[in-house]
Amino acid sequence: MSSAPMVVANGLVKTVTTYEGALTILDDISLEVAAGESLAIVGASGSGKSTLLGILAGLDLPSQGSVSLNGHLLTSLDEEGRAKVRAENVGFIFQSFQLLPGLTALENVLLPLELHGASNARNAAADFLGRVGLSQRLHHYPQQLSGGEQQRVAIARAFASHPRVLFADEPTGNLDSTTGGRIIELLFELNRELGTTLVLITHEERLAQRCLRRIELAGGRLVEAHS
Amino acid sequence: MLALRLLWRNWRSGEVKLLAAALLLAVAVVSGIAIFTDRLQHTLVQESNALLGADKVVRGSHPHDPVWEEEAARAGLRHTTATHFASMIYAGEHMHLASVKAVGEGYPLRGQLETSTTAFATRPDQIDIAAGIPAPGEAWADSRLLPLLHLQLGDRVAVGEYELRITRVLIREPDSGNPFSFMGARLLMNEADLPLTQVVQPGSRVQYQWLLAGDTAAVDNFAAMLETRFDAHQQLVDIGSNQRGLGRTLNTGQRFLLLAAVIGVLLAGVALALAARQFANRHVDQVALLKSLGTGSGRIRRLYFTQLMVLALVASLAGLLVGELLQRTVAAALLQAYQIRLDGPTLYPYLISLASGIICLLFFALPALWFLPYVPPMKILRRELAVNGLQLWLQVALAFLAVLILVLLFSQDLPLALSVIGALTGVFAITGLLAFGLLRLSQRLAGGAGSVWRLAVANLQRRREQTLVQIVVFATAIMLLLSLTIIRTSLLDDWQAQLPEDAPNHFLVNIPPHEVDAIQKLIETRHYQHQPLYPMVRGRLTHINGVELSATSVAREGVFNREANLTWTDTLADDNQVVDGAWWPEWQSQHGLPGVSVEAEMAEQAGLKPGDWLTFSLGGLSLEAEIASLRTLDWRSMRPNFFFIFAPGTLDDYSPTYITSLHLPAADKVFINDLLRTYPAILVIELDRIIGQIRTIVNQVSNGVQLVLWLTLAGGCLVLLAAVTSSIEARKQEIGLLRALGSPRRLMLGSVWLEFSMLGLLAGIIAVLGAEILLAGLQYWVLETPIKPHVLYWFAGPLLSAGLIGVLGVLSCRSAVNTPPAIVLREAG
Ligand SMILES: Nc1ncnc2c1ncn2[C@@H]1O[C@H](COP(=O)(O)OP(=O)(O)OP(=O)(O)O)[C@@H](O)[C@H]1O
Ligand SMILES: [Mg+2]
Repeated sequence: MSSAPMVVANGLVKTVTTYEGALTILDDISLEVAAGESLAIVGASGSGKSTLLGILAGLDLPSQGSVSLNGHLLTSLDEEGRAKVRAENVGFIFQSFQLLPGLTALENVLLPLELHGASNARNAAADFLGRVGLSQRLHHYPQQLSGGEQQRVAIARAFASHPRVLFADEPTGNLDSTTGGRIIELLFELNRELGTTLVLITHEERLAQRCLRRIELAGGRLVEAHS
Repeated sequence: MLALRLLWRNWRSGEVKLLAAALLLAVAVVSGIAIFTDRLQHTLVQESNALLGADKVVRGSHPHDPVWEEEAARAGLRHTTATHFASMIYAGEHMHLASVKAVGEGYPLRGQLETSTTAFATRPDQIDIAAGIPAPGEAWADSRLLPLLHLQLGDRVAVGEYELRITRVLIREPDSGNPFSFMGARLLMNEADLPLTQVVQPGSRVQYQWLLAGDTAAVDNFAAMLETRFDAHQQLVDIGSNQRGLGRTLNTGQRFLLLAAVIGVLLAGVALALAARQFANRHVDQVALLKSLGTGSGRIRRLYFTQLMVLALVASLAGLLVGELLQRTVAAALLQAYQIRLDGPTLYPYLISLASGIICLLFFALPALWFLPYVPPMKILRRELAVNGLQLWLQVALAFLAVLILVLLFSQDLPLALSVIGALTGVFAITGLLAFGLLRLSQRLAGGAGSVWRLAVANLQRRREQTLVQIVVFATAIMLLLSLTIIRTSLLDDWQAQLPEDAPNHFLVNIPPHEVDAIQKLIETRHYQHQPLYPMVRGRLTHINGVELSATSVAREGVFNREANLTWTDTLADDNQVVDGAWWPEWQSQHGLPGVSVEAEMAEQAGLKPGDWLTFSLGGLSLEAEIASLRTLDWRSMRPNFFFIFAPGTLDDYSPTYITSLHLPAADKVFINDLLRTYPAILVIELDRIIGQIRTIVNQVSNGVQLVLWLTLAGGCLVLLAAVTSSIEARKQEIGLLRALGSPRRLMLGSVWLEFSMLGLLAGIIAVLGAEILLAGLQYWVLETPIKPHVLYWFAGPLLSAGLIGVLGVLSCRSAVNTPPAIVLREAG
């Protein structure tokens, strides 16, 4: 699968200042993710995966280097500009689900649609919850759902706004392996159906193998890239 | 609208309820107090002015400048005149030295003249409210003038060169406490007849009054302008200067209400700040999520701001409604219990209330929420990322600024506002220090205690910063509540003490020496509470240490400028206290002169001290005396009180009359009529109406005070609740964990209870200490009431506080302890 690159990173460096002086978390990272492709980022804990994901998704800025997402040069935009790019292109799934506890499953999925001012948001949200198998649980609060169900709501929320790229930080990290397996299936099903580009961090070999490509980080550097 | 939908969802999940409640309370407190005080003030001023006959009076020994009349009319004021003088009046072979008052059209401007066709009328159906003043050629006479001069209604009396026909009996009139009224029975006549009588000649002793009434602000402005043009013989009189005791009660009452309002708002504000903090902490994740979803900071700010504003508006309106209902309830209760009808309120207090809601929101809630739009989106991936809120000191500074603005808004009194701020700063500093010290102490003490104790103390220590903040908040809230309760109690006691049920309510003046024994016996057979009969001579101070009074700087002071009542006695009344010099038997003259004891405040004004010698003029004769002592006295006591008391016997040669005061039960009012029929020379000054009025005012203010106290109490409880719930969140997770590790329920609840009780106890101790300091300051500088320790509260305060906060803590943690740990952990995570 080769088409126009969706995510392009060039010479990314991230340093932060800590009590013990400057700390380099990411060191000279360049990569490209094509549209519709799926990329797995693996590496030991603390190797800089989340930091990289945040920069690729435009949540954070690198200290050096550039990132562009769907043709928008994120590193030249201000926070408002990046927010706009995120709004139009990006969806997220997190390890700790990040559902708002005061909102029902439906309202959680509705939130991004409402923010983007989508028409017919309620139906679309209910529809997506149906696709992840939760049509019976629309009005349940996160507390009333199991971990797997909560993550399915998060997936519905991520896909509901039809993002071009979906970033996921250990989407199965908090789930048992059976449930995790189902979540993986769901992710790739939607990836296929909607042509969404996937960039995900995982510790799970199973999940990494499903991706078209994988990169490995160690101590903030890219160590190997498989195609 | 998205913001509204979000608000609704936040409301449903309970996150903004505390916020709304705090705001509602703030507005309810302010509006309840502001509207009530406003109505109260209007009513009281109206009532008091009715006693004076006007809003303000220009009093002088010569008539006012006629040019002023035009100016007053232009300022939209009503005005009229009253001329007081004493004159011998004749009816056939009988005569009497009457207190004549000649009044202009429209008199009185406030209050009313009550007349009758029956002398000594007491039944309401016999008494009419006069529609005007006596027509030219006519006069209205005091009841006792009829027996004195053997008159019937319709008979004529001669005043100077003119004859007036008595057409009605004057039962009651404003300004009856004027010293010019003490000379004899009243005759009220029309001003138009005054020149015809020819009694007012250059040099006669006459008091000219020019009465003013109208819109409060207009009157005040006009009077202030006039005052700059007064000469030495003119002075402005209003209810404040006319009724010292009343003015003071009013003032203290209003200051208390104001103070309570500020404290109430402050408490509500603190609750609001705590609630907002909690709200903000819970919303950090939500904001990070919204940001990751592509919402910019600007939009976040708008979303939250709109939510807050809508919330503020709804809560403020609801608060206004609650305040309005509260003050109506109190007003209705007043009407029922005391037949007091309050005037309607003006718009200002409503505006103030809404403004305070907004101020509270801007200065207490907004600072806590300020950082929300700046939450970095990366927070969604790295939860441990620190988010910097507005600096705590800045938030506190803003809160102080808010208090300053609020006090100014309520009182327009900068020194008061600054002293409130000063007191608060002191309170916080002291509280913080004490809390810190006590926390260390508790750590040392708990060292050898059981496991429940150790866990509780360890918890307090571990969250030292949070604990400190909590103690300061608890302590401040409790301290303010304690202070308010104590002030209220002591104020009410003080007011009640001023006017005990059997306070003298009638003065008998002008008793001739040969009637003293008979009168004394009469009063005693009736068993009325009464004071001794004091001899009294009217005299004027002419020289101080041989220097003529007119040459001294005190010549213009009212007290020195008029005739004073002089007396002698050997026993000091129990409300009199010698503060300098010595009382009779011990006292020795330095100059071989008779001794005189001088009222202390007056002595201070004139720089008088024991050993100085004074010269008095008594009906043309002069008398020298040496100051033996200075005395304080209680003007509010409604007893005969004297600026000058001489050594026994000194005044025997100056033909004294006697004076006393007695308490006449309402049912025995006729006694006066009987007395006056037998002894018409006696003048009775009826104070029962004024006393009734003061009681009414005290009752009104007390009711207001009560209402305010309840509102503030609600504010305090809300603060406590907000502070407890804000720490429960973190605690739940911990409890879940400990329960999962197998800690028994009892241990958990026990330690929670102990922890909060200890917090409460520490806070209570600090609160009591702080309250005593605060109270001493307040009573000394603001309320001017005596300072006393409140030993009962030293024990009750800490214990109550420990009990209350302990229970609050257990109640809010109980669900966490009782539910299975797995669920608690899931909810908390
Ligand atoms: N703002 C920061 N300040 C200080 N240190 C940081 C900051 N951001 C990241 N780090 C450090 O950089 C390293 C990489 O962090 P990152 O969260 O990217 O690792 P990760 O690969 O996602 O690890 P994990 O698999 O445990 O999630 C860590 O050691 C982290 O402590
Ligand atoms: Mg990570």
